[in-house]
Amino acid sequence: MTDPSTDPSPAGHVDAPPLDDYRARARAWVEANLERAPQTRPARGGDMTPQAVTEARALQRRLYDAGYVGITVARAYGGQGLGPEYERAFHEEARGYRLPDFGIAGGTTFGVVVPTMLAHAAPAFLRRHIPKILAGEELFVEFFSEPDAGSDLAGVRSQAVRDGERWVLSGSKIWSSGAYYADWGMCLARTNWDVPKHRGLTWFAVPIAAKGVTVQRIRQITGDAEFCQEFFDDVELTDDDIIGGVGDGWTVTQTMLIYERGGGFGHGGPARQAPKGIAPDLVELARSVGRLDDPTARDLIARAHVDDVARRALLARLGGRMRAEPGQAMHLASYAKLASGVFDPPRANLAMRIGGSDAVAWDDGDEAGARTANGFLNSRFMSIAGGTNEVQRNGIGERVLGLPREPSFDSGKPFREVLRDARSWTGRPAGG
Amino acid sequence: MSVKLLAFATPEQEMLVDTTARFIEKTLPLAKVRELAESAGNPDTDYVQTASSLGWFGLLVDEAHGGGSASGNGLLDAAAVGAERGAVLQPGPFVGLNVVAHALSADGPRHGALLERLVAGQTRATWVAGTVGGLTPGPGEIVARSDGDGYVVDGEVRLVHDVAGCETLLVSALGPGGPVQVLIGADAAGVEVRALSGLDVTRRVCAVRLRGVQARADAVVGVPGAPTEARLRQQLAVAAVLCAAESAGAMHTEFETALEYAKARIAFGRPIGSFQAIKHLLADTSLSLEMAKGLVAAAAEALGEGRPDGIELAHAAKAFVAERGVELAHACFQVFGGIGYTWEHDHHLFMRRLAADAVAFGSADWHRGRLAEQIGAD
Repeated sequence: MTDPSTDPSPAGHVDAPPLDDYRARARAWVEANLERAPQTRPARGGDMTPQAVTEARALQRRLYDAGYVGITVARAYGGQGLGPEYERAFHEEARGYRLPDFGIAGGTTFGVVVPTMLAHAAPAFLRRHIPKILAGEELFVEFFSEPDAGSDLAGVRSQAVRDGERWVLSGSKIWSSGAYYADWGMCLARTNWDVPKHRGLTWFAVPIAAKGVTVQRIRQITGDAEFCQEFFDDVELTDDDIIGGVGDGWTVTQTMLIYERGGGFGHGGPARQAPKGIAPDLVELARSVGRLDDPTARDLIARAHVDDVARRALLARLGGRMRAEPGQAMHLASYAKLASGVFDPPRANLAMRIGGSDAVAWDDGDEAGARTANGFLNSRFMSIAGGTNEVQRNGIGERVLGLPREPSFDSGKPFREVLRDARSWTGRPAGG
Repeated sequence: MSVKLLAFATPEQEMLVDTTARFIEKTLPLAKVRELAESAGNPDTDYVQTASSLGWFGLLVDEAHGGGSASGNGLLDAAAVGAERGAVLQPGPFVGLNVVAHALSADGPRHGALLERLVAGQTRATWVAGTVGGLTPGPGEIVARSDGDGYVVDGEVRLVHDVAGCETLLVSALGPGGPVQVLIGADAAGVEVRALSGLDVTRRVCAVRLRGVQARADAVVGVPGAPTEARLRQQLAVAAVLCAAESAGAMHTEFETALEYAKARIAFGRPIGSFQAIKHLLADTSLSLEMAKGLVAAAAEALGEGRPDGIELAHAAKAFVAERGVELAHACFQVFGGIGYTWEHDHHLFMRRLAADAVAFGSADWHRGRLAEQIGAD
């Protein structure tokens, strides 16, 4: 699988600098240009204020101008065309310094959208968008789930209808994290109702400021409002906005899901990078509630630690397996997603047990209690978002373990008929 | 059907794993393990000598004493071998013998002659680890009293693996100045070995009783006191990782067998694995299995490289596998249904092995306890 947009061999570039020189220059630049990151993070994500977004864009621009974003992206698209070891070197040097924080939309843009676009979008599209994304001018979110289609993602009903030279988009999307401060949405729409559901889908880049796009924020159980719902009232798009081919949306989706699932750890889970010592967040919690010497609390912490290290080891193992079996990458990534969905909730419950009464009532400004309670409320995030545990289990069962599929009522016939027939569903297989 | 404990293996590791798997398949496949279990027998000398020629007992030993690793990290190699062994429920010698080889190798040339014979499969030894000041788990404690420039050793330890055929025992005891380790002849005066009946019918376990057993100064391994204390921590971590690797192998076969059964067994007009209740149970179970393999390999890698987090990862790996192994056996049991209750089906052999290994070289609770001790220490 070759990807023309990234350069796999830095040796191919005559001007790729020696890694040590690059690292030394990066270190010097970081020291001269970046601030030290604060030690602690706030208990809640909270809003991305317009000011915070502006600041993040300005910092991103400085990194871009200095050549420290898109390090592995081809030069034609505004990147540096260097190998992943250069990117790693920069991030190692930048550790402990403040980098642009675009909140959840930043993770979506750079972790999911950019690699998916690079794999599927046309060169002209990439030349138009990628440099602006890297420079912090275009922040993307996913327009993915709908009020009537979440885990059954291929069942989306938002539609784009061709009308002469243009496409007209209508429908609604939901759970779009960070759409209220983003610039663009990467939107999955149905472009053909007369073929089976996986074959009639197309991805579009939709400008959020376009006429006909309405964004509403959704207040969540934590009190935050990072998710949004969008409504599309005859939004005009063109062929230039298409990512991948018309009707080829499911192929693009499969790439996207690798990045989406590969995230591994969800809210309140252990950080991806090995923390120092044993479950430091829980140790800090136990200390703050005066239970560090309590044998029960210590056993709970050790219990969480064992699962934390097992989850990190799982990610390393999956990385190895994906290299050995690249064709299985999307399905193997389900393991990372399922691990979060299965292990996050008990870990959050365990934190509640350690926190005790301090995790259910706290003084204003008491970070430990608030953070623990918030982690509890958020702990099923990865069990549901981006495909439920059940969907991951089906994927693992059928695609990794090779178990026979469930009888399917919807994959062989035109999607228009699927919706019609579902209203009078009898439980009998099609044609039965 | 390799366990593939290592997601990425070097060609040398692949060769080691491959020759190991083929040797087991040819010499002691599951049907023969079963026969051996029924007759309460042990693998013969040929088995041990061929195993030694494959390198099983030299992976933790330096080349000067006839050892050598496949990848540069002998513990990682040994874990890969252990997983293949566990997959076919091989009896010993393996973990105990490797722990003794590891301990002697760390002691330099002092016990070089014995070490070379162990590596070559010419003689066998195992580790008799009583509870030594909380450093090692074990039902029973052994005490060493000073006697001239040597020791007199007393006590009883149950649950000792692979004693049959052993000429030498490495005994960890509580001495006057802290922990001490001595080599004792299995036929020395005052040594009494008693075979026990056990849950795991594929392994023979014994109780070892020592009554006034003399250990001369030249039988001491390492330096008693603080150095032996540190050595025991390492030794126990090695035992925990190898035992967990064998468990991970047993988990692998148990799971694969249940998976095949779910594809073949028909109920309500469909293979039962097409039902989400079964499919989801197996998906969750396979997640556990992937985590177990990943964690055992990570622990072996870190401990084998001498990284500072090696011992901590070994505790975590043993704790995880001990609990998840038994859980996996239960999930598979549910998939097998009634057939899993029969003596003829292999399931019970794996369930017995996993439940017994969960206790060997420290239970999940014991290993978690060691992790809990670290909290707030840094």
